[in-house]
Amino acid sequence: MGGPATLVIAPPEGRGTTAASLVGAVESRLATLERRYSRYLADSLVSTINRAAGGGAFTRLDPESAALLEIADQLWRSSGGLFDITSGVLRKAWRFDAAKTPVDLSQLETLQKKVGWDKVERTSEGVYLPVKGMEIDLGGLVKEYAADCAVRLLRDEGVTSGLIELAGDVATIGCQPSGKPWQVAIRAPQGSDPLGGIALSNAAAATSGNYARTLRFEGRTYGHLLNPLTGWPVEGPTSVTAIGENCLSAGAVSTIACLQSPEAAMVWLSEAGLPWLMIDHNAGYSGPLATELDLSAL
Amino acid sequence: MNPLRSNSAFLRSLTRTLATLPAYQAAAALADAPPAFTEVGVRYSHYSEDDIDASSVIFGAPSRYDIDITQLWIEAPVGASWSVALDVQNDYQTGASPWFVGTDQNGEPGVIMSGASIQDNRVEVGVATRYFWADGNAGLNVSRSDEDDYEALSMAFDASWNTAGNTRTWTTSVSNSRDKVNPTQGVIPVFVTDEELDTQSGYFGVSQILSRTAIVRVGLNYTYSDGYLSDPYKLNDQRPQSHERIALSTGYRHFLIDANASVQFDYRYYADSWGVDSHTVELGWAQHFERTTLTPYFRYYSQREADFFEVVADLTEPHFADDYRLSSYGAMTLGARWAINLGDWTFELEGERYWSDANWGLYDGNSAPALVDFWRGTMAIIWRFD
Repeated sequence: MGGPATLVIAPPEGRGTTAASLVGAVESRLATLERRYSRYLADSLVSTINRAAGGGAFTRLDPESAALLEIADQLWRSSGGLFDITSGVLRKAWRFDAAKTPVDLSQLETLQKKVGWDKVERTSEGVYLPVKGMEIDLGGLVKEYAADCAVRLLRDEGVTSGLIELAGDVATIGCQPSGKPWQVAIRAPQGSDPLGGIALSNAAAATSGNYARTLRFEGRTYGHLLNPLTGWPVEGPTSVTAIGENCLSAGAVSTIACLQSPEAAMVWLSEAGLPWLMIDHNAGYSGPLATELDLSAL
Repeated sequence: MNPLRSNSAFLRSLTRTLATLPAYQAAAALADAPPAFTEVGVRYSHYSEDDIDASSVIFGAPSRYDIDITQLWIEAPVGASWSVALDVQNDYQTGASPWFVGTDQNGEPGVIMSGASIQDNRVEVGVATRYFWADGNAGLNVSRSDEDDYEALSMAFDASWNTAGNTRTWTTSVSNSRDKVNPTQGVIPVFVTDEELDTQSGYFGVSQILSRTAIVRVGLNYTYSDGYLSDPYKLNDQRPQSHERIALSTGYRHFLIDANASVQFDYRYYADSWGVDSHTVELGWAQHFERTTLTPYFRYYSQREADFFEVVADLTEPHFADDYRLSSYGAMTLGARWAINLGDWTFELEGERYWSDANWGLYDGNSAPALVDFWRGTMAIIWRFD
């Protein structure tokens, strides 16, 4: 999934499992998920679905991938269409990794015809993208799902104290071996110093940000999150962290928040009801977690 | 409440889909899961009736009832799918109540009070167990209540289940109670010994999430009692041997995002085989702050009198009563609830004032002289731990 990963575990006693065997099992589980859902691997399920776009044939789904698409559907509906796993093609107009001519608005109208989760057909036969060139990208879901899968695997192996971090999203099992909750640092977007720490036990923290990749266009800086309804980058919060019982729920809440204006994001976060922290472009922070940030615990 | 277990429609719906994936099946019953924590709570209420208006009393002191209610409970998860609960409640009642309504020298009705003769303690012990599955839960509750003059054994079963992607919750319950009445002889003579009362009740209701900010519910309750239904501590009280009651209750909650508050509207219609029917309307405003919720509320109640009620009981009829609770009247309640959540601890306070008046009702009927006004205050401390 292309990001750094950290795994901290206390192997359970009396089961004959070692830290190395548990790490190996987690790595294997994560690799399986990557092979299935990465859009960069040609033989992944996602690439197979994308290649079949406009060709008239449905791609069969297994229960796991069908459930992930169902979740994508729920997030699309709940966000009023802002969370859209078909919006990735818009990156061809907004090239956050290009040194020259990062923005090519002439393509935008054509690309937008390839965007729209409501166009995607799902039946008992599977899934079909009806427009040639249309693509889905499950990157907004699978990293969090992978963290939850790792937690489940470790719990099944009897682990009662553990932490997994996948590119900034953290899921925890129990407390630290000392009995204290896990302390997770929240990084300030503009610097490397942490804003503070939050305590987690049997909980997950997911952060969505719009600051890691940016581009300058007509005198303004834009973050990499794109609004599928307009085709333009979102001018939303710089980053949002949410805490949930699992990483996917926390990630869904924080990701949808980042796709909205800061004001709308606050309403969304309050309604979702999970603890959250929002950082705006002036580095101001707000939300229930703001009062719980603890620098001394780091 | 576990702060990570949000009850938002979005997360409920997402949780339901996640439950189809093996990675989340340990948490498959999130929508309906046993409590994650053991909960211990204590609640104390004091109920105090105002003195009766001296001009309404023919004989006796004007002071009325006071009741102290203390409740202790513990609820704990057992395994992945069950919870058990124990609930103990003690009510201590003291004071006087209207014995009967007579007429003074001018022919005006007035109350003869019982004198401060009543002092009663009631203890109720209930045990309950509940089973949870992904789409619902079901519980069985057995309780026994004991006081000097009254014993009751009741059993209740209830179930609720979610459909339509967790947006609709159906609830049903049935209960049965067997009571034994054996009034104590005090300052006032009592002419009843060893009576029994059987009661069966059933409820069916549904609540529906209409949108991210609105929820509505409706329910119908039917209760049938057979046995001794009169009040043994009233001189002129002879009620029918059976009592059928039906109640339709509805409620609506609307969350106001900008105000971080919810508007609460409830309406209940009640009718029974004694000719009583009533309307209850309640309006509340729950204002949420960071850790606290303040809910002021107003309730209006209007009742039509029972067929056999007379201000001064007509003893020539087969059934008669002068109990003000069976008269036509209207009542208003103004109250407020306040709750603060401090981590594992929750504190609750509630106070309300109740006024009743024959002229406030929607129905005709003569004014019962013993209509009551009262104060009620409640405080509770709840502790949750792993």
